[in-house]
Amino acid sequence: MSLKIDTEKSKSPWQAFLDGLGYSGRRGVSRQVGLGLIAVVVALIILCAVNIVQGEMALFWVFGLAFGFVLQRSRFCFASAFRDIFLLGHGRNMKGVLLGLAVGTAGFAVLMAKYVPNPTLGTLPPDANVLPLGWHTVLGGVLFGIGMVVAGGCVSGSVYRMGEGYVASWFSMGGILVGLAVAGLTWNWWWDVSISHSPRIWLPTTLGHGGAVAVTMLGLLVAYLLVLWWESRSGVVIPDPQFQGSDEDTFAARLNDTLKRIFVRGWSAVAGGAVLGGLNVLLFTAAHPWGFTGELSRWALGFTNWMGIGPGTLKGAASLPGCALDVGDGNLLNHMLFLVWGMVFGSYIAAVFSGEFKIRVPRQKVRYVQALGGGTAMGYGAGLAMGCTIGAFFSAIPSLALNGWVFALALAVGAWIGTQIIQRIA
Amino acid sequence: MAFKKLDVRGEICPYPMMKTVQALKKLKAEDEGLEVITDHAPALETIPTQAARLGYTAQIEETATPEWRILLTRSH
Repeated sequence: MSLKIDTEKSKSPWQAFLDGLGYSGRRGVSRQVGLGLIAVVVALIILCAVNIVQGEMALFWVFGLAFGFVLQRSRFCFASAFRDIFLLGHGRNMKGVLLGLAVGTAGFAVLMAKYVPNPTLGTLPPDANVLPLGWHTVLGGVLFGIGMVVAGGCVSGSVYRMGEGYVASWFSMGGILVGLAVAGLTWNWWWDVSISHSPRIWLPTTLGHGGAVAVTMLGLLVAYLLVLWWESRSGVVIPDPQFQGSDEDTFAARLNDTLKRIFVRGWSAVAGGAVLGGLNVLLFTAAHPWGFTGELSRWALGFTNWMGIGPGTLKGAASLPGCALDVGDGNLLNHMLFLVWGMVFGSYIAAVFSGEFKIRVPRQKVRYVQALGGGTAMGYGAGLAMGCTIGAFFSAIPSLALNGWVFALALAVGAWIGTQIIQRIA
Repeated sequence: MAFKKLDVRGEICPYPMMKTVQALKKLKAEDEGLEVITDHAPALETIPTQAARLGYTAQIEETATPEWRILLTRSH
């Protein structure tokens, strides 16, 4: 409160502009907004440069920026969605996740009905995340759930927090790559034991398109009601503070309020979920559903293979959709690379514009161990389940695939175990 | 009557909130409340609810970019 040192007459036009955006009295923010403008210019330069090489890379760069921006603005976190149910009895983020799944389901259903007009013949929609369902799905989900809670963020959460300046999240990413590399070494064993003879169950095959959508939406509704009931048992919930708009009725004031709502104020979890669900549908329309563990595995396995300590070839993985492990072809550049780094950069842009960027260094050494260990568990789990909370969950349930629901239940079990662990680490 | 101080800057999710809850439970009768310093924005959404369940009202004040002071006062 004591920080408003500016007097009206000493204000530069830049400061006046920032004050108008609601930045008044915030120390160091003008530097952050300046960095944000530079970052936007850099993002545009990369976009133009990449577009010359390949249009698809440019498209995925734009999608990455958008996903990263929305994740940061709504602080969309799958780890907290599951964890906070157990730890806090608070369903704020889970409600956003459920809405995102509902939006994704509606959009995916329309697309898949176009690709596969008659689902009862047994054909699967190309590129949808209908994955082999077996014990590897359950074990992968439990490991992933434990890892994401212990590390303090899932794969997408770590990616956007890398952009916000959380040093621990860079360690989580290191752990995820290690976990994926280990998963690569054991893939052929898992393929023989479980994955190769596991069914890929697509609900429309037995229920038809309409029936599958109805059952999925009903499942999401039941989950929503369960969250509400659980929350009501846990005591009061203080809602996020309401946005206080300007009293003025001018166009400038309204525009200002709109900019503030988008760039400065944190978005609600449901707004984030709805937009992410919509972006996922757009990405599926353009290419395939959202997911990027496959790309991370391409880095990890490409590197270990190059070192001569990798798995060599992976049985059957190339025939699977979604985020199945990938050894790559030796080329670093591909469109998915731009999706992942676009997310980090998009989150960075969102963080600086809202004044939330900061290099945050944990003071306790154990946090680095948690980030690395949790990351490794997540990486291995995602390798087994052929996806993370995005590919095997956020894109799988809308794919009307049974594996999405099984993975979700396993995630919940893992998150509960993870919650027990973090409460024992001071 | 005074406020205890708790600095959770640099902490990863969800420790800012967990440490706040632990500190609130340890407050003595003579403490008026708790002052939490954090740079973790998601904590702004979780701490008020957890504090309310323990009988404290939260007041959030932005002290830097990004840094917040959350004043948790015992509600009578």
